[in-house]
Amino acid sequence: MTSETFNQEFEKIKPQLKSYILRMTASVQDTEDLLQDTWIRANEKLDTFKGISSLKTWIFAIASNLTIDNLRKKKRWPENVTDICKAAAKEDPRHFQETMKLIESSNYAKFEIQEHIAFCFTCIAKSLPLEQHLCLLLKEIYDFKIKEVATILQTTEALVKYHLHTARQKMIEIFEGRCALINQEGICHQCSEINGIFNPKQNIQEELVKIKMVREADKADKEHLFDLRMEVLKDIDPYSSGAHELQLHHLEHNRRVMEEYLKKNE
Amino acid sequence: MKNLITILLLMTSLSPMAQNGKAITEKKTFSRTTTVSIAIESDVSILWALLTNAADFPRWNSTITSIDGDIEQGKKIRLKSTLDTKRTFKLKVKEMVPDQKMVWKGGMGKRVYTLKKSGDQVIFTMSEKIGGLMFPLFANKIPSFDESFEQFAADLKKEAELIAQAR
Repeated sequence: MTSETFNQEFEKIKPQLKSYILRMTASVQDTEDLLQDTWIRANEKLDTFKGISSLKTWIFAIASNLTIDNLRKKKRWPENVTDICKAAAKEDPRHFQETMKLIESSNYAKFEIQEHIAFCFTCIAKSLPLEQHLCLLLKEIYDFKIKEVATILQTTEALVKYHLHTARQKMIEIFEGRCALINQEGICHQCSEINGIFNPKQNIQEELVKIKMVREADKADKEHLFDLRMEVLKDIDPYSSGAHELQLHHLEHNRRVMEEYLKKNE
Repeated sequence: MKNLITILLLMTSLSPMAQNGKAITEKKTFSRTTTVSIAIESDVSILWALLTNAADFPRWNSTITSIDGDIEQGKKIRLKSTLDTKRTFKLKVKEMVPDQKMVWKGGMGKRVYTLKKSGDQVIFTMSEKIGGLMFPLFANKIPSFDESFEQFAADLKKEAELIAQAR
């Protein structure tokens, strides 16, 4: 494969790759660095690409390796990350002012509930063990087959199945307990609360019925509701969606808060 | 010939290694050993992962309420079981041979888990021996492990086979 062909192919894969790295790291800066490192590493090793797997699988394997190196020494986030970050945001008037300024000045910062669902998943999924987190994203959001995930992570299909199953069950349990969108007794109402603060003119009920996961919450089983949540994520590119600047701003806030929180609680 | 087959069948069902998920308890004066063995259609690495992920145990295993600590060689774990809900069992992971064998040691007993590949199946065996010089004094106060062991094996089989079927 020539460098020119590789660059063309890389550009096609880049949006998915970038979104994958962001959803793993929750850091805009780390994502930029890792994306660049992936391109450099792939270019250096281009002559070793034999086409046994697809180029996309091969590039995702390089990106995953670099991302694992980046995350291996960092602590995982707790399940109640959104509670911790909400409390921190409330105590920080500067964060509120910055957010309002962004909403007023940007065309990509109108609060959208679907985007908040994706953002919330990104934060909470960081409570999963690293291997489970990787398997879940690769299989459920980026549509790799189990065999391809095993190739990317240099493991066996059996272990991918184990990590995937365990991750799904854990996330189903967390969202069942927390998410008021799918469970009336769920303790987290941040979607509607933030909508009320940053987008008060938007009718929350009208917006909620547009989301299949919410419409089917009463009748669908937990596994299916989780699949529908994954569909929400698949439809959103965190770097080009309608409200991506707002959501990236929230994500950066949460990352900073969690870094301080984890340092304090070492 | 018919009698021979009947004898063989009886031997198989009574053997401590019968892989039918039925627990067998052997009682002696100074010890008691309970063993359960079951054939599971899954991959040995899935079973090993399930048996060594402490935090995840209560999700799939209805006989265990919680395990605190890491299931790693030489580490101590604190286990709460439905066998005695008020008690915390303090155990040490004495031996770990990945995908093959694990030994937990407690104050008066030892639990051994083994995994053996057999064609497309894995034979899971769990055995616990409790005893000592004082054992006869409290032997009749210790509840039977049979039901709990059978449930453990059934839960493991169900979960491991479900995971293996994923596409």
